[in-house]
Parts: sequence; structure tokens; C-alpha cells
Amino acid sequence: MKWFKSLSVAAMALAIVTTGVSSANAASSLSGSIVINGSSALLPLTLQAKSEFQKLNPKVKISASSAGSVTGPQAVRKGIAQIGACDWDATKDVPGFKAFEGQIATPVAVIPFAAIVNSDVKVNNLTTQQLKDIFSGKIKNWKDVGGDDADIVIVNRAFGSGTRVNFQLKALEGGSIVSTGSNVKTVKSSGEMKTNVETTSGAIGYEALAYVAGSKMKALSINGVAPTEANIINGKYKVWSYGYYMTKGQPTGVTKAFIDYIRSAKFQNGSLKKLKFIPLSAIK
Amino acid sequence: MIESSPAVQAAVQGQLGESMKSGSGKAFDRKNRLLFYNSTFKVVCICSAIFVCLILFSILIFMFRTGVLTFKTVPLTTFLFSTDWSPETETYGAFVFIFGTFALTALTLLFSVPLSVFVAVFLAEMAPKWLRNLLRPILDLLVGIPSVVYGFLGLTLLLPKLRDWAQVDLSDGILAGAIVLSIMILPTISRISDDSISAVPQKYRDASYALGATRFHTIVRVVLPSARSGILYAVILGMARAIGETMAIVMVIGNTPQLANALFKPTSVLTSNIVMQIPNVPFDSTWNYALYMMGFLLLFISLLMIVVIRLLQRKGASR
Amino acid sequence: MKTAAKAAATNAFSARSGSNRLKDKIFSLVVWGVSLVIVAIILGLLALILERGATHLSWDFITGLPSEIEEGGGIGPSLFNSFYMMILSLIVSIPFGMAAGIYLAEFAPDNKFIAFVRICVEGLASVPSLIFGLFGIALFVEMMGLGLTIIGGAVSLAFLNLPVLTRVTEEAIRAVSQEIKQASFSLGATHLQTIRKALIPSAISGIVTGISLVAGRAFGESAVIILTAGVTTSGVMWDFNLLSPGETLAVHLWYVQSEAIVPDAQLISQKAAAVLLIVVLAINFLFRIPLWVRERKLR
Repeated sequence: MKWFKSLSVAAMALAIVTTGVSSANAASSLSGSIVINGSSALLPLTLQAKSEFQKLNPKVKISASSAGSVTGPQAVRKGIAQIGACDWDATKDVPGFKAFEGQIATPVAVIPFAAIVNSDVKVNNLTTQQLKDIFSGKIKNWKDVGGDDADIVIVNRAFGSGTRVNFQLKALEGGSIVSTGSNVKTVKSSGEMKTNVETTSGAIGYEALAYVAGSKMKALSINGVAPTEANIINGKYKVWSYGYYMTKGQPTGVTKAFIDYIRSAKFQNGSLKKLKFIPLSAIK
Repeated sequence: MIESSPAVQAAVQGQLGESMKSGSGKAFDRKNRLLFYNSTFKVVCICSAIFVCLILFSILIFMFRTGVLTFKTVPLTTFLFSTDWSPETETYGAFVFIFGTFALTALTLLFSVPLSVFVAVFLAEMAPKWLRNLLRPILDLLVGIPSVVYGFLGLTLLLPKLRDWAQVDLSDGILAGAIVLSIMILPTISRISDDSISAVPQKYRDASYALGATRFHTIVRVVLPSARSGILYAVILGMARAIGETMAIVMVIGNTPQLANALFKPTSVLTSNIVMQIPNVPFDSTWNYALYMMGFLLLFISLLMIVVIRLLQRKGASR
Repeated sequence: MKTAAKAAATNAFSARSGSNRLKDKIFSLVVWGVSLVIVAIILGLLALILERGATHLSWDFITGLPSEIEEGGGIGPSLFNSFYMMILSLIVSIPFGMAAGIYLAEFAPDNKFIAFVRICVEGLASVPSLIFGLFGIALFVEMMGLGLTIIGGAVSLAFLNLPVLTRVTEEAIRAVSQEIKQASFSLGATHLQTIRKALIPSAISGIVTGISLVAGRAFGESAVIILTAGVTTSGVMWDFNLLSPGETLAVHLWYVQSEAIVPDAQLISQKAAAVLLIVVLAINFLFRIPLWVRERKLR
């Protein structure tokens, strides 16, 4: 298998050299291949950027897969991916995960998050303290926070999910999330979170804001601030994070070209906005 | 196994030689050629079997090698018998998942085996031919439906129904899991049983009827016992799929690490816990090793169940 | 067999024929009833999936390219990849699986080790496909450095299907009655000729069941392919390159259901499920047609 590896390394090197040379002439003759792995929340963005980028540069081969955020920087460290998508800055420690040394985090998008409830819940606003009490299991009934007399059902993402890490850090200020009880369940993906909160009465969960639009669930205001793009841009709504592309050292060659494309004003203000992410340039 | 006794084989080859010798000179080439093909084929078969075993054992070793690292930090007894699983605080007790796997599999087999055998008997013995030719492909079809579709239907149809029926906050748990799994493995068990019931020679039935037995007696006392090995194999295969199923189960089991001591209580099994957590795990952590160990444990449990079923069968046969 | 037949005989003569007839009636009724209920449930399930999706199907959807933002994205490349990958995985798994099954049924010595191997093969059928995916990553992505490719996905899928295929072949060949084999031997056939001309044709129904089981599973599998072949296609139709990324229809279904932001995600997943169902149905019938033709000829 060694010869295969060295062959592919040689091919990669050749590709990078040729792109280095040719990019001076015309961008469309860019060629090479990129493997992207990591966060599933950033996957729709990556896939859209990939298809646009490949239209401009037909010779570039991009394959993407996703598992969880931490897979991104890990795949980059192992050398099986050039870009690792991650919902947090993996060059720093976050609860449960150590920093990845020698990697560069390049922000590519702003991801807003929101606490969401089933449409039969009458509550529209919760304070940070109420959220903390609900998710730590202290408050078990909606009537304690001004709603009807109904049990609260907590829908969680798995420990280590980027959405959960960010929600816990920014909305619960690092507070704990209850893990057992007859009214607690954990789901695997954003889509499942949406389906569960939509169909379970009295359910509360958390989700990237992109999935809330056009759904049957309701996004809650936190401390009286509604989760809208305007409130994030003017700094009132705090529950958001950057989405990052992790690379081994500074990105070079095709990888750099791809990251440059996804950060370009054309993509940020076009497709990225349509996918309900917020452009980097909007945050001061 | 008549053909495997060497004496018979020698006799057969001797006969073969005789018949060849009586032919013309050309037949000698033919005999050599046939023997050459014969032995080549045998070598090819042995090589394939070795290849298959090689892959299987390398997967075993792959899982075990990573999994065994768990025990550097977690004692075996804690891993097997503690009910406390929280990666946040680095405690890894897998008892909840082991118990959940056993409970879920048992409940699933309880639902699906009797029903599948009924369906198999129906297909092989009772249904008119046109119905049989129509139903068999439809049953096979169910195997090809991706498990995410089953899971999604379970999530959007079954869970709300169960919730209303049982008047609980969350209906996720082993009952919902067992219902979804039963539907998933029913075609596997019934189709393979159906094949083995159909393979029972017609003369057994004829003999039984000739002795004056009714259809009930013929099926229960003659046909089913004759097809027992195949039915058992079908059950094992169905059980294997039930133990190993992930994508559908993860949507209806609730994924809460607590003991499944009630039908409607969100819980977790080995597979669902692996598939939930492995995307988010740092790959050189005890957490990761523990998940691989659970994968290995899963294999161990299914091997154990297979051995138990085989032993039961042997006991039944010698009775 | 003898004891069973004897038991049936003694019972038939000792029990009163009236109660026997009653039992017989009840038994028939129960079998018919249970089977019809189950068939009704299954048909209802199928009808549900088809009704939700098939009514909206169009040619543009089946051959079109997927879209992340706009409504009306298609599934063309992933549907193609599904077929391509299924065929590749069958090409790898059928010869090995069948040959190994024939070995276990015909050549293997009857000792403890082979019994152990047999149990291992059965046990591996229960390993979650996820583990095969992780193994595929270790083998194709890390060791060979191929990246996420069609060939990596197809071979991992073949590994997943090997145990089932091996055991189904073995069972089917074992089930062939001894007389056929003895007749073949006594006609002077070699072991190979017996297997090829007598055993496999007699066992073909079981083997075909096995193959359509694994073909269907290959079509519906997602966990293995997400890990080894990725969630992207090369973005064009008819890409036969083995090193292209290979998202299949089942993976696309998973993606649309779990992460996609397109407004018609729900509809796309329902339509994709219906397409999957129709294709698997077609595969099942296609595999069976030669059997029916043969059966008709033999009659």
C-alpha cells in the first residue's frame, strides 16, 4: 500500500505545483483535490460552495463528508482531510475537547442558534436563569415559567455536538444539561431535532436558526431579545458562533482558493445568506 | 454427510476412473482436465473462505485492539456492571446499554418469531400460487427499505400514537424500538424460513397424509421439525440484524443512559450509543476506546446468543 | 425425520378425528388470519411511503442535480451512484461469498474450528454497519490514502454483505437433498460438476433470495457509505471514475432528512424513499424472472 500512498502524495504535490504555476494565468485551470470532513451543521454550506466552486474550476475534485465537529480537526491531524469543518475554534480548549496544535482556524460563517419549543407551548420568552433551570432539570413544568400546566420534555443533542457545545456555552453560560429522566431524550441531527420538537407536545430543544424558518416550531426570545439577524448584528443576541475551517498550517494551493471563495463577498452575500447563515462582514 | 466419508469418495473416484478408461484416448485428457478443474475449484473455494475469514478476523482484531485500551483506565467490573455512563465526568459503565440490548432483542424476538413462522407456513404451505409469487418479492422488498425510513416512520407515526395511547410524556423506549425492529426483521425471518419449509421434500408430506394425519399435524409434526435447521438459521440472522440495527433504533429509543425497567422510558442500547457518540469523540480518548469496546461487546453478545440457540437446538434434536 | 413421522402417525391414529379436524380448521384460520393481517400492515406501509412520495415524482427529479438553496433539486447523480456501487459491491461479494459458502457446505472438515468460523460469520452479520464503516476508513482512507471514493464504499459494502451471502449460500446448498448429489456422483460426475450442474441449480432459489437480500441492503445502506464514500457526488451524471466521491440515494435521503436546509427537504426525502422502494422492488422482480422462466420450463 506504501507505493499507493506515495503515488497519491506525488500526485497531490504535482497538483499543487501546477495550480501554483497556473493560478497566475487563469483561475479556471486550477486543479487538484480537496477532502472536507467535520461538522454536519456546516455541511449544506460546504456542499453549496463546492458545487459553485467546481463550476468555476472544473478540474478541482472536492469530496465532503460529515460526522461531528470534532471529526474535522481530527481528520486534518490524521492527514485524511485537507479541511476540517468545526463549529468552534478548535485551536482553543472547549469543555470536553482539547485544543488541536499546529492548526489554523479560518472563520467562514456566522451560525445563529436559538432555543426552540413545540408550537403548543405558550411561553415566548425565557431568562437565562430560567433556561439554565429547565435544562439542568430544576424546573419540570411549563407553569413555573408562565406557561400551561404541562410537563417539560427536553430534547438534547449528543454530548460533543457543535450545536450543544455552543448553546451550553453561550445560552446556558456553561450550565449543566440534565442527562437522565423519563422526559429527556437525545437526538442525532438537526433534522431529527426539528422533527422531535415539532411532534412532541411540551418539548424544548435548541437548533441552528436556519432550521427554524418555515417549520412548525417556535424560537424563543432570550432575556427579551428575539433571535433575529438584526439583533445579532447589533450585538443584543449573544447565542451565535463562528463556523470554522481548520487546516494544517496556513492553507495553500487549491485549499486556499476554496477557502478564499467561501469567504468572498460574492458567496457570503449570495448563497450563504440564502442558506440563513450570517455573512462574516456583518459582525463588527 | 455421505459424500464426505473418504471411502465413498474413493469409490466414486474409482467409478469415475473406470468409466473414463473405457472411453477413447481422448477421454484421458478429459479426465485430467476434469480433475484439474476439480482441484482448482477446491483451491479457489478454500482461498475465498480464507479471504472471508481474514476480513472478518481483521475486523474483530481492529475492534478489539482499540477497545481493550479502555481497561488501562477503567476496571473491567466498572465497565460491565456500572450503570453510570457520563463522558462529561469520564465515567464509563456500560451496563445500561448491555441490558438494553438484551431486553430489546428479547422483546423483538418475542414479537417477530411467532408471526414470521406463521407467515412462512402460510407462504410455503397454504397460499395459492399467484399470491405466493406476489408476496415473496414484496417481503424481500422490505429488507431494502433504508433503516432511516423505518426510523422516520417510527418517529413521526408510531411515537405520537404510543404517546396518546399510553398517556406519557415520551413514548421512546424498548417497546417502540421492538415494534420497529419486528417489522424490519419479519421479512428476513419469514422469507428464509419459507425457503427452508419449501425445501422439505414433498414425500414427507405425502407420507404423513397417507398415514391419515391432518394438515395441522403434518405441518407441526413433520414439516416444521424437518425445516428446523433453516428456521433456526433465519431466527439467528434476524436476531443478528436486530442486535446490530442502528439508524432506525437511534430515532425511537430515546438515547438516555438509564436502565430500561419500563416499556416507555427513554433508554439506550449498545448500537444506538455507539452511533450517537462516535462522531463526536476525540479519537485518542478513553471515551473512544470504550465505544470500540462496546462494539466488540456487541459482537460477543450476538456470538453468545447464537451459541445458546445452537445448544438449545442440539438439546431439542437429541430429545 | 423418522421420529417425527412416527409421532405424526401415532397421533393421527390415536386422537379422535373430530377434534383433529377442529384443530386443523382453527390452525388454518389462525395462519390465514395472522398472515393476512401482517400482509395488510406491510402493504399499508408500502402504500404510505409510495403515496407520500411517488405521486410527486417527475423525470426532472430523477435525473436532475441536487440543490442546496432552491426548491426542486434532483437526485440524478446519487441514484446513479447507488446502482454503480451496488453492482460493484455485488461483483466483489458474490464470488467470494458463494465460494466461501460452497467451501463451508461441501469441503470443510467437520471440526471445532470450522464450527467456530461458522458462528463467527453469523456473529459478524450482527456487527453494526457503522463498525464496517470505521474499518473501511482505516483501510481505504488511512492506509491506502484514497480519500472518500466509490471504490472504497463499494468494497466496504461488500465486506458488510459477505457474512450474509456466505451463510445463505451454505444453507441453500446444504438443503439440497442428498439423493440429487448421490445421483450426480453415481453418474460419474466430479465434485465440481456435481456442484455446478446439480447442487447450485437446485439451490438457486435460496441463493437468489440471498443475493436480492444483500442487493437490497446495499441499496439501502447509509452508515458505511457516509464514512467511506462521503456525502458528495462529483456533481455530474454518468461519472464512472472509481475514485470519485460516491454519495448514494440512501445517503442523500439521510442528508436531506438530517441536515439539509432546502425548504422542500421533507418532500425530497419522501420522494427519494419512494424511488428507493420502486428500485428495490424492480431489482427483486428482475432477479426472480429467470427463476420463473426456468420453473416454467421444467414443468
